[in-house]
Amino acid sequence: MVDHAQKLADHVWQRYNAKERLIRYAVLLVTLMVVVWAVRDIDIFWPWVWDAPNQISGLGARMWPPSAAGLGNIVNALIETVHIATLATFLTIFLALPVAYIAAQNTTPNRACLWLGRFILVSSRSVNTIIWALLFVAIFGPGVLAGILAIVFRSIGFIGKLMGEAIEEIDRRPVEAMEATGASKAKVIAYAIVPQVMPAFFAIVILRWDINIRESTVLGLVGAGGIGVILQGSIDTFAWPTVATILLAIILLVLIGEAVTSLLRRKVL
Amino acid sequence: MTRPDAQASAPRTWKKPPFIANPLIRYGILILAAAYLIWAFGSLPFNWARISEGLPRAARIFSGGFPPNLERYELLITGFKESFQIAILATLLGVFLSIPFAVMAARNIAPMPIYLIGRAVIIISRSFHPVIVAILFVAAVGFGPLAGILTLTLYSIGFVGKLLAEEIEEIDWGQVEAMRAAGAGYLATLFYAVFPQILPRQVGLSMYQLDSNLRASAVVGIVGAGGIGGTLMNAFGRYDYDFAFAILLVIIAVILLSEGVSGWVRKKIW
Amino acid sequence: MLEIKNLVKRYGRNKAVLEGLDLKVEDNSVVSIVGASGAGKSTMLRCINRLVEPTSGSITLNGTELVHLKGADLRRARRKIGMVFQGFNLLDRLTVMENVLAGRLGYVNLYQAITRRYPQADIERAFVLMERVGIAQYANKRADELSGGERQRVGVVRALMQEPEVLLADEPTASLDPRTSEQIMMLLQSLASELSLPVLINIHNVSQAKTYTERIVGLRHGKMIFDGVPADFNKDALDAIYGGIEAPDDATSNAPVEERAHDPA
Repeated sequence: MVDHAQKLADHVWQRYNAKERLIRYAVLLVTLMVVVWAVRDIDIFWPWVWDAPNQISGLGARMWPPSAAGLGNIVNALIETVHIATLATFLTIFLALPVAYIAAQNTTPNRACLWLGRFILVSSRSVNTIIWALLFVAIFGPGVLAGILAIVFRSIGFIGKLMGEAIEEIDRRPVEAMEATGASKAKVIAYAIVPQVMPAFFAIVILRWDINIRESTVLGLVGAGGIGVILQGSIDTFAWPTVATILLAIILLVLIGEAVTSLLRRKVL
Repeated sequence: MTRPDAQASAPRTWKKPPFIANPLIRYGILILAAAYLIWAFGSLPFNWARISEGLPRAARIFSGGFPPNLERYELLITGFKESFQIAILATLLGVFLSIPFAVMAARNIAPMPIYLIGRAVIIISRSFHPVIVAILFVAAVGFGPLAGILTLTLYSIGFVGKLLAEEIEEIDWGQVEAMRAAGAGYLATLFYAVFPQILPRQVGLSMYQLDSNLRASAVVGIVGAGGIGGTLMNAFGRYDYDFAFAILLVIIAVILLSEGVSGWVRKKIW
Repeated sequence: MLEIKNLVKRYGRNKAVLEGLDLKVEDNSVVSIVGASGAGKSTMLRCINRLVEPTSGSITLNGTELVHLKGADLRRARRKIGMVFQGFNLLDRLTVMENVLAGRLGYVNLYQAITRRYPQADIERAFVLMERVGIAQYANKRADELSGGERQRVGVVRALMQEPEVLLADEPTASLDPRTSEQIMMLLQSLASELSLPVLINIHNVSQAKTYTERIVGLRHGKMIFDGVPADFNKDALDAIYGGIEAPDDATSNAPVEERAHDPA
């Protein structure tokens, strides 16, 4: 019997060695403790949690059927949303490219510009669009300008970072050749750098436009224009069937945006 | 040098071949773009009177905001603690729940009607910005972190589920056939032939999702779904700009830190 | 006339790559520079048009001192120095004509450069040169659609568009197959005499150097150890340049010269 157990123990198959297992258990244990802490400590009134499915389905029932009333308003707001996203993307291009230029290792004029560029990119990327919107609503008052600026300020970081990386990845050799012809810096950029980053540029701008469409649907919740404004209004007045229509409209908008994006990608790239 | 005299008499010109060959389309696109810009700028309701007050207001906000004030750090810590808790619980729930939805949304292992349901759930949860989902959950279950957790869980299902479904669609089919040949049932096949192939990806995705949930948890609070966003919104609402800027700076720091940690962990795992 | 005096190039605190080089190239002569990898051939050429900054020494082209030029003066000097590269260094996504006209970038203004409104004389010259090397039919093709030999012809024409007073060629044939590289060498040789242009060619292929150039300069460890006509370039010279380092590429293949060394290593 003992023999048999010994034999079994020899045959136990271990997938990981001792150290790996130790690390795995430690990670698991820490995760578990963090989760237990989070569950016990979080400020939640638990009976509400058990009631949540009821509440959610209740809300769903109140939304059904979607109401067609105010469809004209919704369509106008959707168009405004698209305008915000498109204009903001368009404006971003002019601001993001110079930043990308100074934030790329190989084109930056000097160290100070490099760090300035990186600082702009990081601050732009770390602040969410809706927080930018909050700030601009406080400055310029509620309205589309705050929304456009919010999206511009968030997109600078995105487009600037990716374009900067594209510039850093270019083939150095044409640059060398252009310098050898006696071309000035501006001409070297126009001939050796711009053509190389063009495809990346289109891809990045199209990608960001798609993201901006989604982002601009929420700007209205802090008063920065677009479909979010009437969504907030309908929720505040408990007009749930209208809310349902607006939600459907947003899905439609996002899907159309995706379709346009993939069409553009195929046509342009 | 050999000079071709015949052609030298007629000066040859050269123009850069245009990007779009058809001139009608080329100028059409330009005109359309210009017309669009004019229409968009013209039709948007800019409130110029209010906007013109912007600069003095900006000056007031920024002079009120500097230096950032960390005196009420307790409020800040409470807010961040809640954001962390929301992010952790939502990531856990989202990553677990994304597995069944990913299986449902993978064309190669889900039957057609189930596939459509799975895809629809993923598309819908991806179409809505988390803030919109949050505002609905706040309406349904009230203010507080519960709405935040529900929101980010749905957000995670959408994101992780989509990538995971794509991963499942690309698995090595031979292992599945081997399991089936061994007489394994549907669930056994899933557990032995499908999940082991997607598990490494899933761990990396969870780290990524934890990072992006932490970012998102900072904003869902703006519509009342708990966390640091609510604290920020309150500070803004009370014109308490020095505290608001302090919160903003800490949010940026935490996001950078979490991006760094998440990147480091993912590099370790892969 | 190009004159290099006591040229030194040192990267950081390392041993100098070029240790006091002297070289005088008269007009209308084709000079090949041979040497093992790392002997300093490429650094020397790039010091001439200042793609690499020389540490010390003097380089004069037709009386102009090049070493201390800056900004616009440097650019004005560079446009008189054409360069052909090993990797062609073409603007791949632009047309052949744009690549060729890019040789005029030192002469035209920024507006002309960006809108591609080059002077008629430049376009005329571009067509003449492209016809001379047989690529005129590709004028509106994208540069990356061409074969290697055709691409190098574009590179040569681009350099000639500069109306250079000296032509530098950095391993112009190293990325090409043997047949095509012979053609390019022949082209450089005949262009040099047609345009009475001094040409400096870095080259790995000793037999081509002997066939197509009238003077061979051998570098080793940044020092010049051979300077003479191909007929004097014998096994001893070859051993001195490559001995103990590596076998020169293709030195043992397709070579018309008898006294050439077989496998010096």
